[in-house]
Amino acid sequence: MVIRALLKRNTYYDSITLMSVAQAAKDLPGVEDIGAVMATEVNLELLLNANLMPAAFLAEQQTPPSSEDLLIVVRAIDEAHAEVALTVAEERLTSRGDRDASNRGETLPARSLEMALKRDGAANLAVISVAGEHAWLEAEQALRCGMHVFLFSDNVPVEQEKRLKALAISKDLLLMGPDCGTAIINGVGLGFSNVVPRGSIGIVGASGTGMQQLICLIAAAGMGISQAIGTGGRDLSEAIGGVMMRRGLELLANDEQTEVIVLVSKPPAERVASEILAAAQITKPVVVVFLGAASERFAAEAGDARMARTLTEGAELAVSLAGGDRRRIQGKDALNKYDLAKERAKLAPSQHYIRALYSGGTLCDEAMLLLSEQLGPIASNIPLLPEWALAAGETFRGHTALDLGSDEFTRGRPHPMIDPTISLQYLASAAEDPETAVILLDIVLGYCAQQNPASVYAPAIVQAREKAKVAGRWLPVIISLCGTEGDPQRLSMQRTALEAAGAMVYESNEIAARAAALLVGKA
Amino acid sequence: MTLSLVAVDYSRPIQPIFMQKPRVGTVHSVFRKAVNITHDSTILALLSDELPRMPNSVRLRSVVTDELLPNLRPGMEVMVGNDRLAIPTCNFSFDLPDTSAWEPRPNVSAYAWHRETVTRHTRLLAQFFAQKQYEGGLAPLIGSLFLEQPPQETPLSRMAMPNLRLLAQASWQQNIVGIEEATLGLAGLGPGLTPSGDDVLGGFAAIMALLSPQLSADSISRKHIASTITTVAKPRTTKLSGILLEYASRGEVSEQFGTLLLTLSYPIEASETLLKAADRVLAFGASSGGDTLLGMLLGLRALEGEID
Repeated sequence: MVIRALLKRNTYYDSITLMSVAQAAKDLPGVEDIGAVMATEVNLELLLNANLMPAAFLAEQQTPPSSEDLLIVVRAIDEAHAEVALTVAEERLTSRGDRDASNRGETLPARSLEMALKRDGAANLAVISVAGEHAWLEAEQALRCGMHVFLFSDNVPVEQEKRLKALAISKDLLLMGPDCGTAIINGVGLGFSNVVPRGSIGIVGASGTGMQQLICLIAAAGMGISQAIGTGGRDLSEAIGGVMMRRGLELLANDEQTEVIVLVSKPPAERVASEILAAAQITKPVVVVFLGAASERFAAEAGDARMARTLTEGAELAVSLAGGDRRRIQGKDALNKYDLAKERAKLAPSQHYIRALYSGGTLCDEAMLLLSEQLGPIASNIPLLPEWALAAGETFRGHTALDLGSDEFTRGRPHPMIDPTISLQYLASAAEDPETAVILLDIVLGYCAQQNPASVYAPAIVQAREKAKVAGRWLPVIISLCGTEGDPQRLSMQRTALEAAGAMVYESNEIAARAAALLVGKA
Repeated sequence: MTLSLVAVDYSRPIQPIFMQKPRVGTVHSVFRKAVNITHDSTILALLSDELPRMPNSVRLRSVVTDELLPNLRPGMEVMVGNDRLAIPTCNFSFDLPDTSAWEPRPNVSAYAWHRETVTRHTRLLAQFFAQKQYEGGLAPLIGSLFLEQPPQETPLSRMAMPNLRLLAQASWQQNIVGIEEATLGLAGLGPGLTPSGDDVLGGFAAIMALLSPQLSADSISRKHIASTITTVAKPRTTKLSGILLEYASRGEVSEQFGTLLLTLSYPIEASETLLKAADRVLAFGASSGGDTLLGMLLGLRALEGEID
């Protein structure tokens, strides 16, 4: 073991630079530890305590170092490794300065596909978000230019979707969409996406919030995403036939970085599901989450694919198969996070029903599946069974789950993930209903989502609970919070603010739904 | 031809330097969005207007700093005086604007302070910060200092922990020897151009200077503790750090930190505003924001009374 040092007199770098330089050198082989500190008296003592004291080096200095000097010290297995680490540290300090200096200049945004391609001929993916009736035209143009397409727009006719997907396949390209909410391609989030590390788990999904929930739970386990390919919600319908899910699966099967593949969809057409499962018989492990499809229904066709009933179970399976620790994902143990028995005991005799208010359609589906198993019929605007549909003008009926992101609620206004006005209206009306025992709602974080949802939900929750209290009722509010610490809204900040408002916050939608069921189910 | 401009704004404490006859200073350190200039016994910070205001800052439009800063090198001569700052080597100068100076000392007397509310805010903030992931610095100790979580076992935390406890305890007891001992152990300690220990001391000193009269459980002002901390710490740390500590001991703090301090007076229902303000402080530097917040929480705890 050797200790080597570098002293830079009267030299100042900001903390972020010093930290990243130290980390870069520490990651080198043969380096045991590194310190980059201003040479104050106490920091010399700190280096001594950390077994990083460059005693011989300091003794050689004609003038002792002062508080204004930067001291970089490396402890490595031998002389050569220590020298390399110091050289790398110094180079990084220099090059960082250069890069910062040259990081200037602005360009105006391109206003057409042609202009964008002229500027950057290497671009190979187009994100299209224009009115639905024009979206196919832009998508077709991009595909003909040899670009993959992320088609955020909805209201694209199914015939156009079929035609565009056929064109994409013929050109060996992806058409993600239409109505594709989420994707992460080569580490870049598209649409509603969360900030997660890159890793070995690849996802192909016909469900935006379903993918987001998987991605966030996988990130919570400390694992990362290789690629997350959206297909659009109709891809596994009889009309489209799962064209893009098969293509995505094929790409991930051949992708070196992807070790485990997760397929996720709301209930698919039976024939299409069978075809997808047949295509999933590959050497890499494949986890399949077809929400609402009974595992036993596909038991014979699943083969080597692992069927998961819920998004949380899918994430747990994927994490385990990728060598991670599934226990880091919020599981059933989290039900003990709050004293649910105490909450239940406080309910008034009139309070019987769950009122679930969702902005994510798949999360709503998942909650309804879990709740109906325990509580029976769940009325909804996207019912699991036709007879459970809410009638026109009906807001709640018994246990009720609403997908507030569906067309009838979003026509002429932004999606509730962007603007929660509609969710807040329903929150207030659920709170006023004396039959409401618990309000279950989802909040989805990430790019494109509302900048700071807690700032509007927290006061609304406080107000709703206060009003209920005045009316002699105790009103538990459960939140399914989907996001990561890296998201612009910061998961921990949102959770803390929402909990401070009295909400019970779970990061697994499954656990949130189970908690709600425990509050109203048979004791 | 010398390019002459007008600054966007400037802080009140640096105004006297500009009012003198021109005197020579030198470029101390240059960053992407900021440059420090030593002038007599102080340091001026020229900042891009994308950055928040500091007690020693003059801010320029970002288009100006983007052009200017890459051409600056430590040691370059700077002339300051007669309401103007000039850098002759770069043919650059700017004047202070006619607008009044920004006041970095938050006007705490204009707000209503309730000890119980601030105590509850402090608890919430401690829980909030304890959940965060920190890269270095002393902020990871919040959990063990405030929430009885097991302490981190690193050389930095082993050196800092006893001194942090001593600082809070001795400040409540007005034990000057204890305060000096704790300050000696923290000044200049840890990573960063303003070492972590100094940032903690800065947050702590600001609380003593600004809020001890309103929040001390025994209603005794502890403003003098802020001066003691600075006097002991200044010779043991970097020049920049020592100067920022001097400002803190007078209750002069950065824009975001000042906003957070005032937010502590808000009612409990405003927790969201409080957390947002705290998050802005946290975003400052690699570890400086978190360290300053640790100092703030420690200072508020010290005012609550005896510590077990």
